[in-house]
Amino acid sequence: MRPFTLHEPTSAAEASALLLERGEAARLYAGGTELLLAMKGGFLPCDHLVNVKTIPGMDAVALDGGALVIGAAATHTAIESAPIVRERFPLVAQVERRVANARVRNVGTLAGNLCFAEPHSDPAALLLLYDAEAVVEGASGERRISIADLQIAPYETALEPGEVMTAVRISPLPGGARAAYLKFGIHHRPTIGVGAMLRVAEGVVVEARLSLGSVPPVARRLPEAEALLLGERAEHLNAESSAVAEVADAAAAQADAVDDLHGSTEYKRHLVGVFVRRAIAQAAA
Amino acid sequence: MSARAFSTVGQAVPRVDAEEKTSGRAKYTTDLALPGMAYAKLALSPLPHARIVSIDASRARALPGVYAVLTAAELTGMETHYGSDRKDRPIVAMGKVRFEGEPIAAVAAVDLAKAEEAVELIEAEYEELPPVIGLEAALAGESEPVQETNVCHRYEVAWGDAAGAMAACDHVFEDTFTFPMVYHYAMEPHAVIADYQADRLSVWSSAQHPFLVRAELARVFRKRLDQVRVVVPYVGGGYGSKSYTKIEPLAAALSRLAGRPVRLALSVEEAMKTVRRHATRATIRTGVQADGTFVARECRVELDTGAYTDNGVRVTERAADRLPGPYRFEHLRSEAVGLFTNTTPAGSFRSIGGPQGAWACESHTDNIAHALGIDPLELRLKNLVRPGEELLRGRRRLEADLAAPLAEVARGFGWHDYEPVSTAPHLKRGVGMACAVANAGASPISGAFVRLHADGSATVHVGTTEIGQGSRSALAQIAAEELRLPLSSVRVIASDTDAVPYDRSTGASRSTTLAGLAVHDAAADARAQMEDAAARYFETFAEQVALAEGSASFEGESISYGALIGQVFGGAGGEIVGRSAITPDHPSGKLAEDPVFWEVSMGFAEVEVDTETGRVRVLRYTSVADPGKAINPAQVEGQDEGAAMQGVGHTLFEEMRYEEGQLMNPNLIDYRVPTFGDLPDEFHTVLLERGDGPGPYGAKGVGEGGIVAVAPAVANALFNATGARIRDLPLTPERVWRALRETNDA
Repeated sequence: MRPFTLHEPTSAAEASALLLERGEAARLYAGGTELLLAMKGGFLPCDHLVNVKTIPGMDAVALDGGALVIGAAATHTAIESAPIVRERFPLVAQVERRVANARVRNVGTLAGNLCFAEPHSDPAALLLLYDAEAVVEGASGERRISIADLQIAPYETALEPGEVMTAVRISPLPGGARAAYLKFGIHHRPTIGVGAMLRVAEGVVVEARLSLGSVPPVARRLPEAEALLLGERAEHLNAESSAVAEVADAAAAQADAVDDLHGSTEYKRHLVGVFVRRAIAQAAA
Repeated sequence: MSARAFSTVGQAVPRVDAEEKTSGRAKYTTDLALPGMAYAKLALSPLPHARIVSIDASRARALPGVYAVLTAAELTGMETHYGSDRKDRPIVAMGKVRFEGEPIAAVAAVDLAKAEEAVELIEAEYEELPPVIGLEAALAGESEPVQETNVCHRYEVAWGDAAGAMAACDHVFEDTFTFPMVYHYAMEPHAVIADYQADRLSVWSSAQHPFLVRAELARVFRKRLDQVRVVVPYVGGGYGSKSYTKIEPLAAALSRLAGRPVRLALSVEEAMKTVRRHATRATIRTGVQADGTFVARECRVELDTGAYTDNGVRVTERAADRLPGPYRFEHLRSEAVGLFTNTTPAGSFRSIGGPQGAWACESHTDNIAHALGIDPLELRLKNLVRPGEELLRGRRRLEADLAAPLAEVARGFGWHDYEPVSTAPHLKRGVGMACAVANAGASPISGAFVRLHADGSATVHVGTTEIGQGSRSALAQIAAEELRLPLSSVRVIASDTDAVPYDRSTGASRSTTLAGLAVHDAAADARAQMEDAAARYFETFAEQVALAEGSASFEGESISYGALIGQVFGGAGGEIVGRSAITPDHPSGKLAEDPVFWEVSMGFAEVEVDTETGRVRVLRYTSVADPGKAINPAQVEGQDEGAAMQGVGHTLFEEMRYEEGQLMNPNLIDYRVPTFGDLPDEFHTVLLERGDGPGPYGAKGVGEGGIVAVAPAVANALFNATGARIRDLPLTPERVWRALRETNDA
């Protein structure tokens, strides 16, 4: 790997200034689990790494008016083991506990994962079930980007030059909501991740969110399939129900799958149907 | 066998290197450093097949901190090619590149970062040639061949009239199966430190066969054997990937050019582009009588041996030997052809040709059983070679009984009364088995010295490489047993061609049998000298003295080994040296025939398949290993379980994927190896100890056998569960899903 200079700023503003100053030659560095692989492989040459872990408070995991605020330097392990996450956001804890492997979870961060925008990954698809935002700081101050707008293409985000993600902000699921997230694959990275959130009032689905990761280039919601769930009685939404099968077919049609080492387009579409069905049944159970 | 009770042999004592390794103190090649040592980096061909028009290394050479850049032009005054069977491998590419990742140049620099920077400055111009990828392209030969021809080697074993006999059989069955290219993934990629001097070449290497590396280096650099020293520190796994000579000539040539020691340590990606297992396509035709009796078999296997011969000749031959399986045939023809392609060279990998053969043979066996409505166990029991019969005509007769343990382990596995449990409608379970026997042991050429020191401790000099298999522990146990010493008084030193006697190789499951016999005989020689010394001391006959726990005794008197050695040499100091040289003429008479022994593999699997996703999980696996006599049962089990888990890799996940000659998954993110999460819920190894091996105490080799039966046992279990017969590995979820869909449509 090429030698590089490691910068250790003590504020997000300082980190942002360093990025602006060095331009393309500089990268933000948190856990480094993706970045260093890319640098060692020679895919991402950079001469300067700007370490966000030295910024005081950046690793905090805290509640802010009911919302969960996860600092950009908080590792997957820190997140999944935090009592507030386990108690108030059990699904987040559950998914974070199974991201990648123990070595990655111990140093990798949620914010770093979102910023790297690797398509075969869990967090983005999970967070689409929530009202979640990336908090970013740049030369012109702080702004928030909805999770749905954060990743725009594989390995590409909506962050402007010099912008630093400082936190991920996750609002609690609305009252009466139940959610599930399922992943599948035999490789190190997931082949597919499917999330389902159902808000049920008087036994009827009044709001539904379905998210799909790892199959499309960028994790996405499946609005056509979601619409079919509205008005369904939750008790009927089991894996054998014809209503769920219709939703699964609609989801498969929207999968935006591509052939790669994880499998063919045809197989991935099939998997989308299987896991949408299973995720809905699990959320409704 | 000795009538006396064993003191340490047969005991599951802790490994002698356990503390060193778990504490991190154990030294591997890359932990060493020599004064003035340079760091090397390879420049690799980006193309699978091309003529080299030019290589310009001038900018790399001009970079401050670079000591030397080696290209083919610098290979003067020495041999330029090497190889175990054929010297067809250039030290760096000459004239042509034959696979993506072939070294075209190497840089030695002050540090690794500088070497990497210099590699980027090397400019090579190529004239592209169509790559020969896959068996079909190699057979078709429609473009420029990889070597002079695309055929590496042909081999055949035959007796009777297989083709003619088929006509008289009640049934003839035929199947074709493929096996993918797979990578060994030793946790330590290949590493070498070479120090070339005019009259001396010293090499520290992660090599399995240091004496073969020494001979190759002596030939390449035109030196005498005594001028070349190969030392093997601890090795982080080999599995055949570090057999014969790999990157040692390149590191030594670079050291010669740089005028200083050079360290060359490969990455996982570079190791994947150094050696792999042969991909195969095997077709088996079997003539069977209505009662299930096998009469005739014709089989053919094509092997993808990659860009250079490496060990392709021997692998091709073993593949044909092993493909027919452990059954009796009046008529047999088994042929193999090894083919060159523009991919990573294929060489040795844990049981060469074994898993590929068993995958085809044992899947085919279950197809026959199914077609005839015979239980797969019964069909095997009916046809297995019996003890004392020839498995391959003209070779050593099979010493072991296969049928009895197969039947017994099947009972223990619950084969006869198996009822699949269903926990959900989409989950289906089934059971399967597989059985194989392989000619193993390579050549019976090994030596050992045992030095019994003046304080009664002992050092064992033996050429086996400790590659994680536990040879140092097993060999120390054998020495302690024969010397009548506590195990803690015995040390086995690392392989060093300057300091240990010749050993042919660490592979083919041979070390405990052959190096073990060498240590046994050398220690027995030392013990005999001690008995003579004790007899003189006690003024009696050697037969009258008893040696135990480091002392000699006679009629109630005893003397320690140390004091006795003092008596021999007339004062303090001195040592007793026992020695041995194992050859095919060993006095036991047990090493005269080929093979040295037959290595047994049996596996039983219960699997669960998710019929919606195609995901297969191995719920239970029982493996059978036949060590004859387990010197250290815990280590035998460990090796067998490790082998079986490695087999789970090529069964369910592993496959090197090439597109247009480019390796698409040259890393452990995209190339999936088994992890702890893939362990079966129940995992057992059954040891057969019948004292029928040619090694010490009736031992014979294990370590490779465990990998062989896994794939067919799992695929047969999948067939049992679903009726889907899959003919290609690995059993990825998508492949299984497609097979289930076809089965359901049929």
